[in-house]
Amino acid sequence: MNLTQQLINGLVLGHAFALVAIGWTVLLGVARLVNFGHGQMYMLGAFMTWWAISGLGLPYPVAIAVAMGVGAAVGLVLQRIMLQATLEQNLVSIMIMTLGVGYVLHGAAALIFGSTGQILDTPLSTTDITLGESFLTYQEAAIVIVTIVVFIVLELTLERTRVGRLVRMVAEDPKLAELAGVNVRNVYLGVFAFEGAAVALAAAMVGPRTPILTSMGFDEVIMTFVVVVLGGIGSVYGSYFAGLALGLFTAFFGALISPAYTTAAAFLVLIAVLVLRPGGLATRAR
Amino acid sequence: MSAVVLRVDGLTVAYGGNTALSLDVLEVHAGEVLGVVGANGAGKSTLVNAIAGWSRGKPRVSGRVVLEGRDLSASPAHERAREGLLLVPEGKLVFAEMTVDENLSVPGGVRVGPGRRYYDREAVFELFPRLKERRGHRGGQLSGGERQMLGIGRALMLGPRMLMLDEPSIGLAPRLVSAVLETMRTLARDGLTVLLVEQNVRAAIEVVDRLVLLERGRIVLQGPAAQMRDDPRIAAAYLGTSEA
Repeated sequence: MNLTQQLINGLVLGHAFALVAIGWTVLLGVARLVNFGHGQMYMLGAFMTWWAISGLGLPYPVAIAVAMGVGAAVGLVLQRIMLQATLEQNLVSIMIMTLGVGYVLHGAAALIFGSTGQILDTPLSTTDITLGESFLTYQEAAIVIVTIVVFIVLELTLERTRVGRLVRMVAEDPKLAELAGVNVRNVYLGVFAFEGAAVALAAAMVGPRTPILTSMGFDEVIMTFVVVVLGGIGSVYGSYFAGLALGLFTAFFGALISPAYTTAAAFLVLIAVLVLRPGGLATRAR
Repeated sequence: MSAVVLRVDGLTVAYGGNTALSLDVLEVHAGEVLGVVGANGAGKSTLVNAIAGWSRGKPRVSGRVVLEGRDLSASPAHERAREGLLLVPEGKLVFAEMTVDENLSVPGGVRVGPGRRYYDREAVFELFPRLKERRGHRGGQLSGGERQMLGIGRALMLGPRMLMLDEPSIGLAPRLVSAVLETMRTLARDGLTVLLVEQNVRAAIEVVDRLVLLERGRIVLQGPAAQMRDDPRIAAAYLGTSEA
């Protein structure tokens, strides 16, 4: 086994997991919401990027912006539909509605983009950086950098800005936030727009690593569950480190044992952690 | 008599099938401290919550709430807050995970207008020096009295036309009770209109101008504090002159 190569693979994978999960982390942390359409929104982001590049001939960075815009719009529409259920924190309705919207997105995407696999090539995905005997593509390096930037910007926004404070008020106590003059509905809408844009960004960055299909769904982003829960529900830092840990675990488990069982093994670890520390790894002891 | 800041008409509140509150008219005048007193379950919190358009439960509310001529009956709670109709609720009234400073941050869109007194952070710290000492502490680390101060401070920073406090004395040591209630007088001297809900009638009667007595969701008595003090019903029921 090439240790350095596995380390690189693990780090890239870990950042990819963290980036794919970030929208859910905020969603769960702020709005106590789940989105089972996350996988299809990821798929849509990947296809929007692909279409903007190969259909419209737009440069990759512009294509990312297009995908994020569409993602945010889908998030807004989705949240607008679910607003009442959100305000009532009716989780069962929200689960079913997001699951349903996921299938609608799948159907719509299959109609428009067809069911054949596509390759999302970017200027970065076809060139390698060589480090001794190991290598990674510029795309993979970009995943790592973009993820770190997104996490830092998000953390600073939540901790240091007025918008961040309002979001944290709603996260802790939406009812009390109303009395502080916060328009809670708008915060929920904003958080869902962020979820849509964030998962589209993740898709535009991570999608080029594998062929993309309109039938990609939650399986494609299944590690999101593990990252979000392992990181401590709603914890931004926690989900970053959980993503990283999970990436390294996946790379080394795959290299040492078998890639076929990594998902099962990851969930086994998740269940064990949940039994021992129900709040996740990053939660403070209270 | 000074101008009416708040007028409530035909306000009824029901939880499930049970009517918790039924009022014909309630008026609050500019610059006064109005006390609303009554036993547990008399509808005191229900009243201020309904005025604020707010509840942690799911009440059915009907009636009119008019703040300085503006009908706010259809406005959601955050809009009423932005219009200067501010409630410091009972129980959980600060953000426990956020620092004192962060608790004192205000969303955009607060309109400063005539009849509104806007307090900035420094003015709040001047009123409650204790909060300044604790500004880096999280809400959850504060004592009960400090939480009250923080809740009041947050409301003041939103530019109140009227400030409503729901049982600010609950769970506080007697010395703190009078300190918090004295603050109401200070604010009223500045020209603020205050609606104070209290179960502690003995303490409330010292600081309010006018007193309203609620029983089973209805106003059964109201008048100037001095007169109410001598009313046998108040004396007997709440000041503990008979069986206490």
